[in-house]
Amino acid sequence: MSTSVDDKRDVIIETRNLTKVYKDFWGRPKVNALESLDLEVRRGEIFGLLGPNGSGKSTTIKLILGLLFPTSGQALVFNKEASDVSKNERIGYLPEESYLYKFLNAEETLDFYGRLFNMSAGRRKQRVRDLIKLIDIEWAQRRQLKEYSKGMTRRIGLAQALINDPELIVLDEPTTGLDPIGTREMKDLIVRLRDQGKTILMCSHLLADVQDVCDRIAILHQGELKEMGAVENLLSVRDITQIQAKGLSNDAQQQIREIIANDKADLVSMENPTTTLEDLFLGIVRDSKARPGYNRKRERDQQEPVENAATGDETVKDTEETS
Amino acid sequence: MVVDPSEFIPFSEWLSNAAGGFIVLALVIFIAWTVIAFAFTAIRNTPKQAVSIVGGGLKRAILEDFPRSSLRRTIGMTRLAIQEAIRNKVLIIFALFVVLLLFAGWFLDVQNDHPARLYLGFVISTSTYLLLALAMFVSAFSLPNDIKNKTIYTITTKPVRAHEIFLGRVLGFGFVGTVLLILMGLVSYGFVVRGLDHSHTIDLASIEWDEETGLGTGFTSVDSHHRHDFLINRNIEGDRPVGATEIAQGHTHAIYREGDNYVVGPPTGDLLARVPVYGSLRFLDRYGRESDAGGEGGLSVGKEWTYREYIEGNTLSTAIWTFENLTSDMFSTGGGDEGVVPLELNLRVFRTTKGDIEGTVQGEILLVNPEKTLSVQDRYSAPISFEAEEFQTFQVNIDYKEIRRQNPNTAELEKINLFQNLVDNGKLEVHVRCRDHAQFFGMAQADMYIRAPEGSFEMNFFKCYLGIWMQLVLVTLFGVFFSTFLNGIVAMVATLSIVVMGISAGFIGEVQSGDAPGGGPIESLIRNITQQGATVDLDMGETATSVIQSLDSFYLDTMESVAKLAPDFPKFNMAAKVAYGYDINLDLILKQIATTLVYFFVLLFAGYFVISSREIAA
Repeated sequence: MSTSVDDKRDVIIETRNLTKVYKDFWGRPKVNALESLDLEVRRGEIFGLLGPNGSGKSTTIKLILGLLFPTSGQALVFNKEASDVSKNERIGYLPEESYLYKFLNAEETLDFYGRLFNMSAGRRKQRVRDLIKLIDIEWAQRRQLKEYSKGMTRRIGLAQALINDPELIVLDEPTTGLDPIGTREMKDLIVRLRDQGKTILMCSHLLADVQDVCDRIAILHQGELKEMGAVENLLSVRDITQIQAKGLSNDAQQQIREIIANDKADLVSMENPTTTLEDLFLGIVRDSKARPGYNRKRERDQQEPVENAATGDETVKDTEETS
Repeated sequence: MVVDPSEFIPFSEWLSNAAGGFIVLALVIFIAWTVIAFAFTAIRNTPKQAVSIVGGGLKRAILEDFPRSSLRRTIGMTRLAIQEAIRNKVLIIFALFVVLLLFAGWFLDVQNDHPARLYLGFVISTSTYLLLALAMFVSAFSLPNDIKNKTIYTITTKPVRAHEIFLGRVLGFGFVGTVLLILMGLVSYGFVVRGLDHSHTIDLASIEWDEETGLGTGFTSVDSHHRHDFLINRNIEGDRPVGATEIAQGHTHAIYREGDNYVVGPPTGDLLARVPVYGSLRFLDRYGRESDAGGEGGLSVGKEWTYREYIEGNTLSTAIWTFENLTSDMFSTGGGDEGVVPLELNLRVFRTTKGDIEGTVQGEILLVNPEKTLSVQDRYSAPISFEAEEFQTFQVNIDYKEIRRQNPNTAELEKINLFQNLVDNGKLEVHVRCRDHAQFFGMAQADMYIRAPEGSFEMNFFKCYLGIWMQLVLVTLFGVFFSTFLNGIVAMVATLSIVVMGISAGFIGEVQSGDAPGGGPIESLIRNITQQGATVDLDMGETATSVIQSLDSFYLDTMESVAKLAPDFPKFNMAAKVAYGYDINLDLILKQIATTLVYFFVLLFAGYFVISSREIAA
């Protein structure tokens, strides 16, 4: 868990034995929400907090932000106590439900939050303009938030989290309520922010989203840390080799099978890989926008006899269940 | 008009007396809060952690949060509160106010003897109640709604200090209330002035002329439910008034000649701002002895309300007012004519013999030089007679160049100058006696005063609304403070309780001290149920009575202590002064401002500590 001295300088968030027990009015323990959490989030990474409902993800976020006080242990952000208000100068926070003032419109909302960072009028105005353009809400910027859809509200929530161009961005369930396009855009934005040198802490129970963007993750369950590490390391299945090749003939496929058998290895599967539903959906939408009237199904139906002749009868799928 | 004795204390003297009390209050609250916070934290954690948390909080407050306050952030929070209030349609209060004024004629007594007082009392009371109710609602629910809706998360995760959250709410709601108050004030002023504006006509044929003197008398037409007697002089030429009406419904009119006709001018004397110069009051008993020389002082005639003391007629019993800092410059453009010192008296008359019940009671005024080394003849003026009636304010104009005094050598009356002969270093005594046997004059300190040049009614009206504004600020402060740790409804009830306690503090004190008969809440409840009178001893047995009175005593002591923490709202309510036409002096305004500022800072610091020690997401 400990890092070298050099790494220490890059630690943005550090929790030391962080514990939270919810108590009643008389101080009697009710719920052990978090138990002895030790973790570090380093500069420039996207760190994911995973876990089922009630695992302590949101509690961890709230402790780090100072919305809750720890029962024991410590949470440090930029080497300052979580309760230190001055650390908030460098933080942006997107709560899980975009708790915003419904009686304000988008411009007023962002202007208000800009004032809270002591931004000058000129800089604030420019920043509001830039963010409204970024989240593509120019057409509705004068409408009160109570008239916004959930996705629109979520985008405004993200914009207020970015108003101060923060070094650390904390996202609680960032893709909740977004359609697939919005989800993709959110994920792309998160990666872009990381590429700009920002540090992102996000928590989510949508595993696919976390897998797509996070560099490192921590998995919580019932308030305890169960696993932590880089995503690719954690997800890698070390005893299976995956090869993808394009335009491989049936003869070549057969040769490969023989090589595997000669090596006394087990062929798990050899089949056409599948893309993700997200990529399929986004691709169709993209093509439809670029080519109005385009119909992929019709195109596939027209091409299908040729495809079936090339691959259909000879497609082999050998699978063995792994224990 | 009843004047609280505390109003006679100058601001500088009041401040030096009160400053110590304010400091003690602040220290008591600070220490109590620290102890409560420590105890509460120690219960929920450990004593060691409690020291760290509470100590850390104090350190952070002093070294970081307050020094790093940001005006821009505070303005941001203020704007948010303003937008919240406006978009939650609080301006409907103004519409409600206008509707009430529109229908005021249905329930205001138009034949009241003093319509100005009625109108002014109505508009000022309505403005006060509506605005204070609005302040209570808006201030008590805002923060709890933020916490319930979790919108506070997006604020407390920004570099906003706890006191900026508190201050933003107070300033924002205060601003909205101020705008509403200004609108209400303007509409109220228009309502009063327009409502009182009227004229009458004079029928030439109905005037009865005295051919020798050229004076004419008669009645005006009936307008606005009243008419006036009038007296005119047809020998007066030019643009100046040729006469005036008698006072009716608290006002009079000047009468002008226009060609062959006589025109009644607009009403005057109903919207005033008399500037009273008060003196201190002491009494001589029926033998002429001062209180410190064994005299009995002013008498009680058996009335429950002891605001006034009485002097007996046809004895040496005297009420003595001592005025200070008088100069002739004060009266060069006086409430009366130039060179005149107007004395206004508002005496009570207590008759022990009926006699002519509609007749007046005779009194006399003596102007006395307070310098006791002078001879009696040099000190005292000749008596100035007056006639007193119950519940009437009357004025005695003293031409200070025409005062008479008995010459000690010739025993004849000679003219003297008030300021040269009787005023000693700005000091003057005015002695009042009752002449009629077995009749009594009742007076309090504010019942006689010298009328300095009159102030502006409009400025006085503004000062009254300034008092309402300060009440608005206080209610907003308490509402926001309670909302930092209570939910909306409870915070509103708590704020209402503070207002009620502030209004009732005097009564609570009377019950606690025993001045108000009937005992405390438990005793009075038992008296109600058992139908026992308030002035007899409680008939419940010795032990039970003792227990009941002990419980009541504990409760009342607690109530009185808590009530003392609440602002004294009646002191901010200056409707009576405006309605009765008395100027609100600067000392009173300064005292109110100082009190408001003290509550502001105390509640600001208290609110800061509550917000910063609170787990927002718990």
